[in-house]
Amino acid sequence: MWRCAILFTCVSLFFSCEEYPVLKDETTNLKKPGHFPSIEFPEGNEPTKLRIELGRMLFYDNRLSADNSTNCSSCHVLSSAFTDGKKISAGLSSRSGKRNAPTLTNLAWMPYFMMEGGVPTLELQALAPLHDSLEMGFNMMLAIDKLRKDEKLVALARAAYQRDTIDPYVVTRALAAFQRSFISGDSRYDRFTFQDMKNQLNEQEILGMNLFFSDRTNCSTCHSGVFFSDFGFHNIGLYEFYTDNGRERVTYKLEDIGKFKTPTLRNVELTAPYMHDGSIATLEEVVEFYNSGGHPHANRDSLMQPLALNETEKKDIVAFLKSLTDWNFVQNKALLPLEE
Amino acid sequence: MHSRIASFAILSSLFIFSSCRNADDTTPEDVIAETKVQITFDTQWEGGDFNLQEVYFDNFGNRIRVDSFKSYISMLSIVKEDGSEVLLHDFYLMDFLNPNTYTFTIEPGDYDGIRFGIGVPQDYNKDEDPAQYPNDHPLSVAGSQGMFWHWNTGYIFVKFEGKADTTGTEGAELLHSFSFHIGDDPYFRSFEQLDTPIHVEAGLTTAISVNIHVDQILATGGADDIDLATDAITHTSGNTVLAATFVNNFDASITVE
Repeated sequence: MWRCAILFTCVSLFFSCEEYPVLKDETTNLKKPGHFPSIEFPEGNEPTKLRIELGRMLFYDNRLSADNSTNCSSCHVLSSAFTDGKKISAGLSSRSGKRNAPTLTNLAWMPYFMMEGGVPTLELQALAPLHDSLEMGFNMMLAIDKLRKDEKLVALARAAYQRDTIDPYVVTRALAAFQRSFISGDSRYDRFTFQDMKNQLNEQEILGMNLFFSDRTNCSTCHSGVFFSDFGFHNIGLYEFYTDNGRERVTYKLEDIGKFKTPTLRNVELTAPYMHDGSIATLEEVVEFYNSGGHPHANRDSLMQPLALNETEKKDIVAFLKSLTDWNFVQNKALLPLEE
Repeated sequence: MHSRIASFAILSSLFIFSSCRNADDTTPEDVIAETKVQITFDTQWEGGDFNLQEVYFDNFGNRIRVDSFKSYISMLSIVKEDGSEVLLHDFYLMDFLNPNTYTFTIEPGDYDGIRFGIGVPQDYNKDEDPAQYPNDHPLSVAGSQGMFWHWNTGYIFVKFEGKADTTGTEGAELLHSFSFHIGDDPYFRSFEQLDTPIHVEAGLTTAISVNIHVDQILATGGADDIDLATDAITHTSGNTVLAATFVNNFDASITVE
Protein backbone atom coordinates (compact mmCIF):
# COMPACT_ATOMS: atom_id res chain seq x y z
CA MET A 1 0.00 0.00 0.00
CA TRP A 2 2.77 2.42 1.02
CA ARG A 3 4.73 1.54 -2.08
CA CYS A 4 1.73 2.44 -4.26
CA ALA A 5 1.37 5.80 -2.52
CA ILE A 6 5.04 6.64 -3.00
CA LEU A 7 4.88 5.62 -6.65
CA PHE A 8 1.75 7.76 -7.19
CA THR A 9 3.43 10.77 -5.57
CA CYS A 10 6.53 10.39 -7.75
CA VAL A 11 4.43 10.13 -10.91
CA SER A 12 2.46 13.25 -9.90
CA LEU A 13 5.63 15.21 -9.25
CA PHE A 14 7.06 14.12 -12.57
CA PHE A 15 4.03 15.39 -14.47
CA SER A 16 4.00 18.65 -12.49
CA CYS A 17 7.57 19.29 -13.56
CA GLU A 18 6.55 18.78 -17.20
CA GLU A 19 4.30 21.87 -17.19
CA TYR A 20 5.61 24.72 -19.28
CA PRO A 21 7.68 27.08 -17.13
CA VAL A 22 6.32 30.49 -16.23
CA LEU A 23 7.81 33.09 -18.59
CA LYS A 24 8.91 36.59 -17.74
CA ASP A 25 8.27 39.47 -20.13
CA GLU A 26 10.09 42.76 -20.59
CA THR A 27 9.34 45.94 -22.53
CA THR A 28 11.28 46.59 -25.68
CA ASN A 29 11.75 49.48 -28.05
CA LEU A 30 11.14 49.15 -31.75
CA LYS A 31 14.13 50.40 -33.69
CA LYS A 32 13.03 53.09 -36.11
CA PRO A 33 14.93 55.45 -38.40
CA GLY A 34 15.50 58.92 -36.98
CA HIS A 35 13.54 60.53 -39.81
CA PHE A 36 10.40 58.55 -38.98
CA PRO A 37 7.87 60.03 -36.55
CA SER A 38 7.36 58.49 -33.12
CA ILE A 39 4.95 55.58 -32.81
CA GLU A 40 1.73 55.80 -30.86
CA PHE A 41 1.01 52.35 -29.50
CA PRO A 42 -2.53 51.35 -28.56
CA GLU A 43 -3.13 51.06 -24.85
CA GLY A 44 -2.42 47.56 -23.66
CA ASN A 45 -0.35 46.58 -26.66
CA GLU A 46 2.89 48.43 -26.16
CA PRO A 47 5.77 46.33 -27.50
CA THR A 48 7.31 43.71 -25.26
CA LYS A 49 9.71 40.93 -26.06
CA LEU A 50 7.16 38.17 -25.54
CA ARG A 51 4.29 39.91 -27.33
CA ILE A 52 6.43 40.20 -30.44
CA GLU A 53 7.68 36.63 -30.06
CA LEU A 54 4.15 35.31 -29.70
CA GLY A 55 2.99 37.33 -32.72
CA ARG A 56 5.93 36.02 -34.70
CA MET A 57 4.95 32.44 -33.91
CA LEU A 58 1.32 33.08 -34.84
CA PHE A 59 2.21 34.88 -38.09
CA TYR A 60 3.84 31.67 -39.32
CA ASP A 61 1.35 29.25 -37.73
CA ASN A 62 -0.73 27.10 -40.11
CA ARG A 63 -3.19 26.32 -37.32
CA LEU A 64 -4.79 29.67 -38.04
CA SER A 65 -6.28 28.20 -41.24
CA ALA A 66 -9.12 25.68 -41.49
CA ASP A 67 -7.05 22.87 -43.04
CA ASN A 68 -3.67 23.75 -41.51
CA SER A 69 -2.37 24.70 -44.95
CA THR A 70 -2.09 28.47 -44.79
CA ASN A 71 -0.59 31.14 -42.56
CA CYS A 72 0.02 34.86 -42.89
CA SER A 73 3.32 34.28 -44.67
CA SER A 74 1.57 32.28 -47.40
CA CYS A 75 0.72 35.65 -48.99
CA HIS A 76 3.19 37.87 -47.13
CA VAL A 77 6.75 36.68 -47.77
CA LEU A 78 9.57 38.67 -46.21
CA SER A 79 11.93 38.41 -49.19
CA SER A 80 9.24 40.08 -51.33
CA ALA A 81 8.67 42.82 -48.73
CA PHE A 82 5.80 40.73 -47.39
CA THR A 83 4.04 40.25 -50.73
CA ASP A 84 3.84 37.00 -52.71
CA GLY A 85 4.69 37.89 -56.31
CA LYS A 86 1.29 36.71 -57.50
CA LYS A 87 -1.28 38.72 -59.41
CA ILE A 88 -4.04 37.57 -57.07
CA SER A 89 -3.14 35.72 -53.91
CA ALA A 90 -4.31 32.17 -53.39
CA GLY A 91 -5.84 31.24 -50.08
CA LEU A 92 -7.07 28.08 -48.43
CA SER A 93 -7.25 25.03 -50.75
CA SER A 94 -5.77 27.15 -53.56
CA ARG A 95 -8.92 29.29 -53.68
CA SER A 96 -8.23 32.45 -55.58
CA GLY A 97 -8.62 35.66 -53.63
CA LYS A 98 -9.79 38.93 -55.10
CA ARG A 99 -6.83 41.23 -54.71
CA ASN A 100 -3.09 41.49 -54.91
CA ALA A 101 -1.37 40.93 -51.55
CA PRO A 102 -0.30 44.32 -50.14
CA THR A 103 3.17 44.88 -48.75
CA LEU A 104 3.40 44.94 -44.95
CA THR A 105 5.78 47.71 -44.00
CA ASN A 106 5.61 50.57 -41.53
CA LEU A 107 2.18 49.45 -40.37
CA ALA A 108 2.75 51.14 -37.02
CA TRP A 109 1.99 54.47 -38.69
CA MET A 110 -0.89 53.39 -40.89
CA PRO A 111 -4.18 55.06 -39.89
CA TYR A 112 -6.44 52.33 -41.28
CA PHE A 113 -6.17 49.05 -43.10
CA MET A 114 -7.44 47.20 -46.19
CA MET A 115 -7.41 48.86 -49.60
CA GLU A 116 -10.79 50.51 -49.02
CA GLY A 117 -9.78 51.58 -45.51
CA GLY A 118 -12.55 49.75 -43.65
CA VAL A 119 -10.51 48.49 -40.69
CA PRO A 120 -9.44 51.06 -38.08
CA THR A 121 -6.69 49.20 -36.20
CA LEU A 122 -3.95 46.68 -36.85
CA GLU A 123 -5.40 44.54 -34.05
CA LEU A 124 -8.78 44.30 -35.79
CA GLN A 125 -7.12 43.72 -39.15
CA ALA A 126 -5.93 40.31 -37.93
CA LEU A 127 -9.52 39.07 -37.98
CA ALA A 128 -10.06 39.84 -41.67
CA PRO A 129 -7.89 37.27 -43.49
CA LEU A 130 -8.53 34.64 -40.85
CA HIS A 131 -12.29 34.74 -41.47
CA ASP A 132 -12.19 35.41 -45.23
CA SER A 133 -13.34 32.25 -47.00
CA LEU A 134 -10.94 33.07 -49.85
CA GLU A 135 -7.94 33.52 -47.56
CA MET A 136 -7.52 31.45 -44.40
CA GLY A 137 -11.19 30.47 -44.42
CA PHE A 138 -11.45 29.83 -40.71
CA ASN A 139 -13.04 30.95 -37.51
CA MET A 140 -11.04 32.54 -34.72
CA MET A 141 -12.64 30.42 -32.01
CA LEU A 142 -11.88 27.17 -33.84
CA ALA A 143 -8.31 28.31 -34.40
CA ILE A 144 -8.02 29.06 -30.71
CA ASP A 145 -9.21 25.56 -29.84
CA LYS A 146 -6.17 24.27 -31.71
CA LEU A 147 -3.76 26.82 -30.27
CA ARG A 148 -4.80 26.14 -26.66
CA LYS A 149 -3.28 22.68 -26.91
CA ASP A 150 0.13 24.30 -27.34
CA GLU A 151 1.63 24.80 -23.88
CA LYS A 152 4.27 27.21 -25.09
CA LEU A 153 1.72 29.51 -26.75
CA VAL A 154 -0.46 29.45 -23.64
CA ALA A 155 2.55 30.27 -21.44
CA LEU A 156 3.45 33.14 -23.77
CA ALA A 157 -0.15 34.44 -23.69
CA ARG A 158 -0.13 34.44 -19.91
CA ALA A 159 3.20 36.21 -19.60
CA ALA A 160 2.67 38.69 -22.44
CA TYR A 161 -0.94 39.70 -21.84
CA GLN A 162 -1.75 38.39 -18.35
CA ARG A 163 -4.61 36.30 -19.72
CA ASP A 164 -5.58 32.85 -18.49
CA THR A 165 -4.99 31.34 -21.89
CA ILE A 166 -4.94 32.07 -25.63
CA ASP A 167 -8.06 33.98 -26.68
CA PRO A 168 -9.06 36.40 -29.47
CA TYR A 169 -7.63 39.31 -27.49
CA VAL A 170 -4.21 37.66 -27.33
CA VAL A 171 -4.14 36.52 -30.97
CA THR A 172 -5.15 39.90 -32.40
CA ARG A 173 -2.82 41.86 -30.11
CA ALA A 174 0.18 39.60 -30.62
CA LEU A 175 -0.13 39.57 -34.41
CA ALA A 176 -0.36 43.36 -34.37
CA ALA A 177 2.63 43.65 -32.01
CA PHE A 178 4.77 41.56 -34.37
CA GLN A 179 3.61 43.40 -37.48
CA ARG A 180 4.36 46.78 -35.92
CA SER A 181 7.98 45.68 -35.89
CA PHE A 182 7.99 45.59 -39.73
CA ILE A 183 9.85 48.89 -40.00
CA SER A 184 11.56 49.72 -43.24
CA GLY A 185 13.48 52.96 -43.67
CA ASP A 186 17.03 52.06 -44.56
CA SER A 187 17.07 52.25 -48.34
CA ARG A 188 19.75 53.98 -50.37
CA TYR A 189 17.29 56.83 -50.84
CA ASP A 190 17.03 57.20 -47.03
CA ARG A 191 20.80 57.24 -46.63
CA PHE A 192 21.17 59.77 -49.45
CA THR A 193 18.41 62.06 -48.18
CA PHE A 194 18.49 61.77 -44.43
CA GLN A 195 22.06 60.70 -43.66
CA ASP A 196 23.81 62.90 -46.20
CA MET A 197 25.47 59.90 -47.86
CA LYS A 198 25.71 61.41 -51.32
CA ASN A 199 27.33 58.38 -52.90
CA GLN A 200 24.22 56.27 -52.33
CA LEU A 201 22.34 57.42 -55.45
CA ASN A 202 23.83 57.56 -58.92
CA GLU A 203 23.15 60.26 -61.49
CA GLN A 204 20.26 58.42 -63.14
CA GLU A 205 18.55 57.77 -59.80
CA ILE A 206 18.91 61.44 -58.83
CA LEU A 207 17.35 62.49 -62.14
CA GLY A 208 14.51 60.05 -61.49
CA MET A 209 14.11 61.34 -57.92
CA ASN A 210 13.89 64.92 -59.14
CA LEU A 211 11.22 63.92 -61.66
CA PHE A 212 9.34 61.95 -59.00
CA PHE A 213 9.18 64.95 -56.67
CA SER A 214 8.45 67.46 -59.46
CA ASP A 215 5.21 69.22 -60.34
CA ARG A 216 5.60 67.74 -63.79
CA THR A 217 4.78 64.19 -62.64
CA ASN A 218 3.04 64.91 -59.32
CA CYS A 219 3.97 61.39 -58.17
CA SER A 220 4.82 62.68 -54.71
CA THR A 221 1.49 64.44 -54.25
CA CYS A 222 -0.06 61.09 -53.33
CA HIS A 223 3.10 59.04 -52.69
CA SER A 224 4.18 61.58 -50.13
CA GLY A 225 6.19 61.84 -46.93
CA VAL A 226 8.58 59.31 -45.49
CA PHE A 227 6.07 56.52 -46.07
CA PHE A 228 5.51 57.44 -49.72
CA SER A 229 1.75 57.51 -49.12
CA ASP A 230 -0.79 60.15 -48.19
CA PHE A 231 -3.01 57.29 -46.95
CA GLY A 232 -5.73 58.85 -49.07
CA PHE A 233 -8.00 57.16 -51.61
CA HIS A 234 -7.62 57.85 -55.31
CA ASN A 235 -9.03 56.68 -58.60
CA ILE A 236 -6.09 56.63 -60.99
CA GLY A 237 -8.11 55.68 -64.08
CA LEU A 238 -6.95 52.10 -64.06
CA TYR A 239 -10.27 51.12 -65.69
CA GLU A 240 -13.25 52.70 -67.32
CA PHE A 241 -15.42 50.17 -65.52
CA TYR A 242 -14.36 48.71 -62.20
CA THR A 243 -15.35 45.23 -61.05
CA ASP A 244 -13.91 46.03 -57.61
CA ASN A 245 -15.35 49.35 -56.45
CA GLY A 246 -12.73 49.95 -53.74
CA ARG A 247 -13.55 52.75 -51.32
CA GLU A 248 -17.21 52.87 -52.42
CA ARG A 249 -17.72 49.53 -50.69
CA VAL A 250 -17.25 51.33 -47.38
CA THR A 251 -18.74 54.77 -48.04
CA TYR A 252 -21.49 53.76 -50.53
CA LYS A 253 -20.72 56.98 -52.42
CA LEU A 254 -20.62 56.86 -56.20
CA GLU A 255 -17.76 59.35 -56.20
CA ASP A 256 -15.62 56.76 -54.40
CA ILE A 257 -15.92 54.07 -57.06
CA GLY A 258 -12.48 52.94 -58.18
CA LYS A 259 -10.64 54.67 -55.33
CA PHE A 260 -8.04 52.68 -53.43
CA LYS A 261 -5.70 53.61 -50.62
CA THR A 262 -2.37 54.96 -51.86
CA PRO A 263 0.14 52.15 -51.33
CA THR A 264 3.61 52.88 -50.02
CA LEU A 265 6.39 52.73 -52.60
CA ARG A 266 9.00 51.49 -50.17
CA ASN A 267 10.52 48.23 -51.49
CA VAL A 268 8.35 48.61 -54.60
CA GLU A 269 11.02 46.85 -56.65
CA LEU A 270 10.14 43.65 -54.74
CA THR A 271 6.36 43.89 -54.69
CA ALA A 272 5.39 43.16 -58.33
CA PRO A 273 2.85 42.77 -59.79
CA TYR A 274 1.18 46.10 -59.11
CA MET A 275 -2.22 47.74 -58.56
CA HIS A 276 -5.04 46.41 -56.36
CA ASP A 277 -5.61 43.52 -58.73
CA GLY A 278 -2.01 42.86 -59.77
CA SER A 279 -2.91 43.80 -63.33
CA ILE A 280 0.38 45.54 -64.15
CA ALA A 281 3.37 43.23 -64.16
CA THR A 282 6.44 45.46 -64.01
CA LEU A 283 7.58 48.83 -62.75
CA GLU A 284 8.32 49.87 -66.31
CA GLU A 285 4.69 49.20 -67.26
CA VAL A 286 3.46 51.08 -64.19
CA VAL A 287 5.42 54.18 -65.23
CA GLU A 288 4.12 53.73 -68.78
CA PHE A 289 0.57 53.61 -67.41
CA TYR A 290 1.01 56.85 -65.45
CA ASN A 291 2.67 58.42 -68.48
CA SER A 292 -0.53 57.71 -70.44
CA GLY A 293 -2.74 59.50 -67.91
CA GLY A 294 -4.94 56.45 -67.37
CA HIS A 295 -8.38 55.57 -68.67
CA PRO A 296 -11.28 58.00 -68.53
CA HIS A 297 -13.47 57.73 -65.45
CA ALA A 298 -15.76 60.22 -63.71
CA ASN A 299 -13.81 59.76 -60.47
CA ARG A 300 -10.33 59.83 -61.96
CA ASP A 301 -8.02 62.05 -59.94
CA SER A 302 -7.41 65.38 -61.65
CA LEU A 303 -3.67 64.82 -61.30
CA MET A 304 -3.91 61.88 -63.67
CA GLN A 305 -2.85 63.53 -66.92
CA PRO A 306 -0.54 62.42 -69.74
CA LEU A 307 3.01 63.21 -68.59
CA ALA A 308 4.86 63.16 -71.92
CA LEU A 309 7.91 61.50 -70.37
CA ASN A 310 10.53 60.37 -72.84
CA GLU A 311 12.13 56.93 -72.71
CA THR A 312 15.12 58.13 -70.71
CA GLU A 313 12.95 59.88 -68.15
CA LYS A 314 10.81 56.78 -67.68
CA LYS A 315 13.94 54.72 -67.05
CA ASP A 316 15.20 57.34 -64.61
CA ILE A 317 12.02 57.12 -62.56
CA VAL A 318 12.19 53.33 -62.47
CA ALA A 319 15.82 53.57 -61.35
CA PHE A 320 14.82 55.92 -58.55
CA LEU A 321 12.00 53.63 -57.44
CA LYS A 322 14.50 50.79 -57.14
CA SER A 323 16.58 52.91 -54.78
CA LEU A 324 13.71 52.62 -52.27
CA THR A 325 14.55 48.99 -51.56
CA ASP A 326 15.61 48.31 -47.99
CA TRP A 327 17.73 45.18 -48.24
CA ASN A 328 18.35 45.02 -44.52
CA PHE A 329 14.60 44.90 -43.95
CA VAL A 330 13.91 42.02 -46.33
CA GLN A 331 16.81 40.04 -44.90
CA ASN A 332 15.99 40.72 -41.25
CA LYS A 333 16.07 37.32 -39.55
CA ALA A 334 14.01 38.66 -36.64
CA LEU A 335 11.07 38.77 -39.03
CA LEU A 336 11.45 35.17 -40.18
CA PRO A 337 9.97 32.17 -38.32
CA LEU A 338 11.58 31.39 -34.98
CA GLU A 339 14.14 28.65 -35.26
CA GLU A 340 13.12 25.81 -32.97
CA MET B 1 -24.78 19.31 30.16
CA HIS B 2 -28.09 20.78 31.18
CA SER B 3 -26.96 24.23 30.16
CA ARG B 4 -26.05 22.88 26.67
CA ILE B 5 -29.50 21.37 26.26
CA ALA B 6 -31.08 24.62 27.39
CA SER B 7 -28.98 26.61 24.91
CA PHE B 8 -29.94 24.26 22.09
CA ALA B 9 -33.63 24.58 22.99
CA ILE B 10 -33.43 28.41 23.01
CA LEU B 11 -31.57 28.51 19.67
CA SER B 12 -34.05 26.11 18.07
CA SER B 13 -36.95 28.22 19.29
CA LEU B 14 -35.39 31.34 17.93
CA PHE B 15 -34.80 29.68 14.55
CA ILE B 16 -38.38 28.42 14.32
CA PHE B 17 -39.67 31.79 15.47
CA SER B 18 -37.70 33.73 12.89
CA SER B 19 -38.70 31.27 10.15
CA CYS B 20 -42.37 31.81 10.92
CA ARG B 21 -41.90 35.57 10.80
CA ASN B 22 -40.33 35.44 7.28
CA ALA B 23 -43.11 33.33 5.89
CA ASP B 24 -45.87 35.60 7.09
CA ASP B 25 -44.28 38.99 6.94
CA THR B 26 -43.20 39.71 3.37
CA THR B 27 -41.20 42.92 3.21
CA PRO B 28 -41.58 45.59 0.47
CA GLU B 29 -38.15 44.51 -0.77
CA ASP B 30 -39.46 40.97 -1.20
CA VAL B 31 -42.41 42.25 -3.25
CA ILE B 32 -40.17 44.29 -5.49
CA ALA B 33 -37.90 41.30 -5.96
CA GLU B 34 -40.89 39.32 -7.16
CA THR B 35 -42.21 42.07 -9.47
CA LYS B 36 -41.13 41.24 -12.98
CA VAL B 37 -41.77 41.81 -16.64
CA GLN B 38 -41.29 38.98 -19.06
CA ILE B 39 -40.61 40.18 -22.60
CA THR B 40 -40.90 37.71 -25.46
CA PHE B 41 -39.67 38.52 -28.97
CA ASP B 42 -41.62 36.32 -31.31
CA THR B 43 -42.06 36.07 -35.06
CA GLN B 44 -45.39 35.85 -36.86
CA TRP B 45 -46.65 35.37 -40.41
CA GLU B 46 -50.02 36.89 -41.27
CA GLY B 47 -51.03 36.79 -37.61
CA GLY B 48 -50.09 33.16 -37.04
CA ASP B 49 -46.91 31.43 -36.00
CA PHE B 50 -43.84 31.86 -38.14
CA ASN B 51 -41.12 29.23 -38.12
CA LEU B 52 -37.78 29.02 -39.84
CA GLN B 53 -37.48 26.22 -42.40
CA GLU B 54 -41.22 26.31 -43.19
CA VAL B 55 -42.56 27.47 -46.56
CA TYR B 56 -44.86 30.50 -46.85
CA PHE B 57 -46.43 32.40 -49.74
CA ASP B 58 -45.45 36.05 -49.82
CA ASN B 59 -47.47 38.93 -51.24
CA PHE B 60 -45.97 38.44 -54.72
CA GLY B 61 -46.91 34.78 -54.90
CA ASN B 62 -43.34 33.66 -54.22
CA ARG B 63 -42.96 30.59 -52.06
CA ILE B 64 -40.28 31.37 -49.52
CA ARG B 65 -38.42 29.51 -46.82
CA VAL B 66 -36.37 31.50 -44.32
CA ASP B 67 -33.40 29.45 -43.13
CA SER B 68 -31.70 31.98 -40.89
CA PHE B 69 -33.05 35.08 -39.19
CA LYS B 70 -30.96 36.82 -36.54
CA SER B 71 -30.83 40.33 -35.18
CA TYR B 72 -29.03 42.41 -32.62
CA ILE B 73 -31.48 44.08 -30.23
CA SER B 74 -29.80 46.72 -28.10
CA MET B 75 -30.60 48.89 -25.09
CA LEU B 76 -33.93 47.24 -24.36
CA SER B 77 -35.79 49.70 -22.14
CA ILE B 78 -39.21 50.13 -20.61
CA VAL B 79 -40.56 53.68 -20.66
CA LYS B 80 -42.28 55.20 -17.62
CA GLU B 81 -45.37 57.38 -17.89
CA ASP B 82 -43.23 60.47 -17.26
CA GLY B 83 -41.15 59.63 -20.33
CA SER B 84 -38.08 58.46 -18.43
CA GLU B 85 -36.80 55.02 -19.31
CA VAL B 86 -35.43 52.07 -17.39
CA LEU B 87 -32.70 50.15 -19.17
CA LEU B 88 -33.44 46.44 -18.86
CA HIS B 89 -30.51 45.02 -20.85
CA ASP B 90 -27.80 46.30 -23.19
CA PHE B 91 -27.26 43.75 -25.97
CA TYR B 92 -28.96 40.64 -27.24
CA LEU B 93 -28.14 38.68 -30.36
CA MET B 94 -31.47 37.04 -31.11
CA ASP B 95 -31.82 33.95 -33.23
CA PHE B 96 -35.45 33.72 -34.31
CA LEU B 97 -35.21 29.99 -34.67
CA ASN B 98 -37.00 30.10 -31.30
CA PRO B 99 -38.92 32.73 -29.31
CA ASN B 100 -36.56 34.84 -27.25
CA THR B 101 -37.87 35.38 -23.73
CA TYR B 102 -36.23 37.51 -21.07
CA THR B 103 -37.38 38.29 -17.54
CA PHE B 104 -36.49 41.40 -15.56
CA THR B 105 -37.19 42.59 -12.05
CA ILE B 106 -38.65 46.11 -12.09
CA GLU B 107 -40.54 48.48 -9.84
CA PRO B 108 -44.29 47.97 -9.83
CA GLY B 109 -46.31 50.72 -11.46
CA ASP B 110 -47.65 51.99 -14.74
CA TYR B 111 -45.44 52.13 -17.81
CA ASP B 112 -46.08 53.64 -21.20
CA GLY B 113 -44.25 51.40 -23.65
CA ILE B 114 -40.91 49.94 -24.62
CA ARG B 115 -37.96 51.05 -26.66
CA PHE B 116 -34.93 49.29 -28.19
CA GLY B 117 -32.42 49.53 -30.98
CA ILE B 118 -32.39 47.26 -34.01
CA GLY B 119 -28.67 46.76 -34.43
CA VAL B 120 -25.69 47.99 -32.47
CA PRO B 121 -25.49 51.72 -31.65
CA GLN B 122 -22.74 53.75 -33.28
CA ASP B 123 -20.65 54.04 -30.09
CA TYR B 124 -20.33 50.26 -29.94
CA ASN B 125 -20.14 49.48 -33.62
CA LYS B 126 -17.43 50.25 -36.16
CA ASP B 127 -14.48 51.14 -33.97
CA GLU B 128 -15.16 48.56 -31.31
CA ASP B 129 -12.95 45.53 -31.01
CA PRO B 130 -14.91 42.29 -30.48
CA ALA B 131 -11.77 40.72 -28.99
CA GLN B 132 -12.08 42.93 -25.93
CA TYR B 133 -15.30 41.25 -24.78
CA PRO B 134 -15.50 37.95 -22.88
CA ASN B 135 -16.59 35.03 -25.03
CA ASP B 136 -20.13 34.92 -23.65
CA HIS B 137 -20.84 38.55 -24.57
CA PRO B 138 -22.98 38.98 -27.72
CA LEU B 139 -20.49 41.49 -29.13
CA SER B 140 -17.47 39.21 -28.64
CA VAL B 141 -15.71 37.25 -31.38
CA ALA B 142 -17.40 34.05 -30.20
CA GLY B 143 -20.70 35.59 -29.14
CA SER B 144 -21.26 37.51 -32.37
CA GLN B 145 -21.64 34.17 -34.20
CA GLY B 146 -20.62 35.49 -37.59
CA MET B 147 -22.61 38.73 -37.19
CA PHE B 148 -19.46 40.84 -37.59
CA TRP B 149 -17.83 42.12 -40.76
CA HIS B 150 -14.07 41.83 -40.64
CA TRP B 151 -13.08 43.61 -43.87
CA ASN B 152 -15.19 46.68 -43.06
CA THR B 153 -15.51 46.42 -39.34
CA GLY B 154 -18.88 46.58 -37.67
CA TYR B 155 -21.69 44.30 -36.64
CA ILE B 156 -24.28 42.83 -38.98
CA PHE B 157 -27.46 44.16 -37.39
CA VAL B 158 -29.90 41.81 -39.12
CA LYS B 159 -29.32 38.65 -41.12
CA PHE B 160 -32.25 37.19 -43.10
CA GLU B 161 -31.47 34.34 -45.47
CA GLY B 162 -33.26 31.57 -47.27
CA LYS B 163 -34.54 30.18 -50.54
CA ALA B 164 -37.55 30.98 -52.67
CA ASP B 165 -39.35 29.84 -55.75
CA THR B 166 -40.23 32.92 -57.72
CA THR B 167 -41.52 31.14 -60.84
CA GLY B 168 -44.99 30.49 -59.49
CA THR B 169 -44.72 26.85 -60.57
CA GLU B 170 -46.54 24.54 -58.22
CA GLY B 171 -44.21 22.05 -56.57
CA ALA B 172 -41.09 23.69 -57.94
CA GLU B 173 -37.94 23.48 -55.89
CA LEU B 174 -36.88 26.56 -53.95
CA LEU B 175 -33.75 27.45 -55.89
CA HIS B 176 -33.67 31.23 -55.70
CA SER B 177 -31.43 32.38 -52.82
CA PHE B 178 -32.14 35.52 -50.89
CA SER B 179 -29.74 37.09 -48.43
CA PHE B 180 -30.09 40.31 -46.49
CA HIS B 181 -27.15 41.32 -44.29
CA ILE B 182 -27.89 44.76 -42.91
CA GLY B 183 -25.32 46.71 -40.91
CA ASP B 184 -23.39 49.97 -40.63
CA ASP B 185 -24.40 53.07 -38.68
CA PRO B 186 -26.88 54.61 -41.17
CA TYR B 187 -28.97 51.44 -40.99
CA PHE B 188 -29.35 51.32 -37.21
CA ARG B 189 -32.99 51.84 -36.25
CA SER B 190 -34.53 52.90 -32.94
CA PHE B 191 -37.82 51.19 -32.29
CA GLU B 192 -40.28 52.49 -29.76
CA GLN B 193 -43.92 51.89 -29.09
CA LEU B 194 -45.34 54.33 -26.58
CA ASP B 195 -48.94 54.96 -25.50
CA THR B 196 -49.15 51.26 -24.74
CA PRO B 197 -50.17 51.12 -21.08
CA ILE B 198 -48.29 48.40 -19.22
CA HIS B 199 -49.48 47.92 -15.65
CA VAL B 200 -46.92 46.05 -13.60
CA GLU B 201 -48.60 44.62 -10.51
CA ALA B 202 -46.49 44.33 -7.38
CA GLY B 203 -45.33 40.80 -6.72
CA LEU B 204 -46.48 39.48 -10.11
CA THR B 205 -44.93 38.82 -13.50
CA THR B 206 -46.35 40.91 -16.36
CA ALA B 207 -45.95 39.48 -19.84
CA ILE B 208 -45.10 41.69 -22.82
CA SER B 209 -45.03 40.34 -26.33
CA VAL B 210 -42.89 41.94 -29.05
CA ASN B 211 -44.13 40.55 -32.34
CA ILE B 212 -42.11 40.73 -35.53
CA HIS B 213 -44.50 40.31 -38.46
CA VAL B 214 -42.17 38.71 -40.96
CA ASP B 215 -44.70 38.91 -43.80
CA GLN B 216 -44.79 42.69 -43.38
CA ILE B 217 -41.02 42.99 -43.77
CA LEU B 218 -41.55 41.90 -47.37
CA ALA B 219 -45.00 43.35 -47.98
CA THR B 220 -45.97 46.72 -46.62
CA GLY B 221 -48.77 47.26 -49.09
CA GLY B 222 -46.92 50.17 -50.59
CA ALA B 223 -43.86 51.19 -52.57
CA ASP B 224 -41.55 49.57 -50.03
CA ASP B 225 -42.57 46.02 -50.85
CA ILE B 226 -39.65 43.69 -51.45
CA ASP B 227 -40.16 41.22 -54.29
CA LEU B 228 -37.57 38.49 -53.80
CA ALA B 229 -37.70 37.75 -57.52
CA THR B 230 -35.92 41.02 -58.23
CA ASP B 231 -34.60 42.26 -54.88
CA ALA B 232 -33.07 39.24 -53.26
CA ILE B 233 -29.60 40.23 -52.09
CA THR B 234 -28.04 43.05 -50.20
CA HIS B 235 -25.07 42.92 -47.90
CA THR B 236 -25.66 46.64 -47.36
CA SER B 237 -22.64 47.45 -49.51
CA GLY B 238 -23.77 46.83 -53.05
CA ASN B 239 -27.43 47.78 -52.55
CA THR B 240 -27.89 50.36 -49.83
CA VAL B 241 -31.40 51.28 -51.04
CA LEU B 242 -32.61 47.73 -50.51
CA ALA B 243 -30.78 47.60 -47.16
CA ALA B 244 -32.62 50.71 -45.99
CA THR B 245 -35.96 49.39 -47.24
CA PHE B 246 -35.46 46.10 -45.44
CA VAL B 247 -34.53 47.61 -42.10
CA ASN B 248 -37.29 50.23 -42.33
CA ASN B 249 -39.82 47.49 -43.02
CA PHE B 250 -38.40 45.41 -40.18
CA ASP B 251 -38.79 48.34 -37.80
CA ALA B 252 -42.34 49.01 -39.01
CA SER B 253 -43.35 45.36 -38.75
CA ILE B 254 -42.92 45.23 -34.98
CA THR B 255 -45.86 45.51 -32.61
CA VAL B 256 -45.94 45.34 -28.82
CA GLU B 257 -48.81 43.81 -26.87
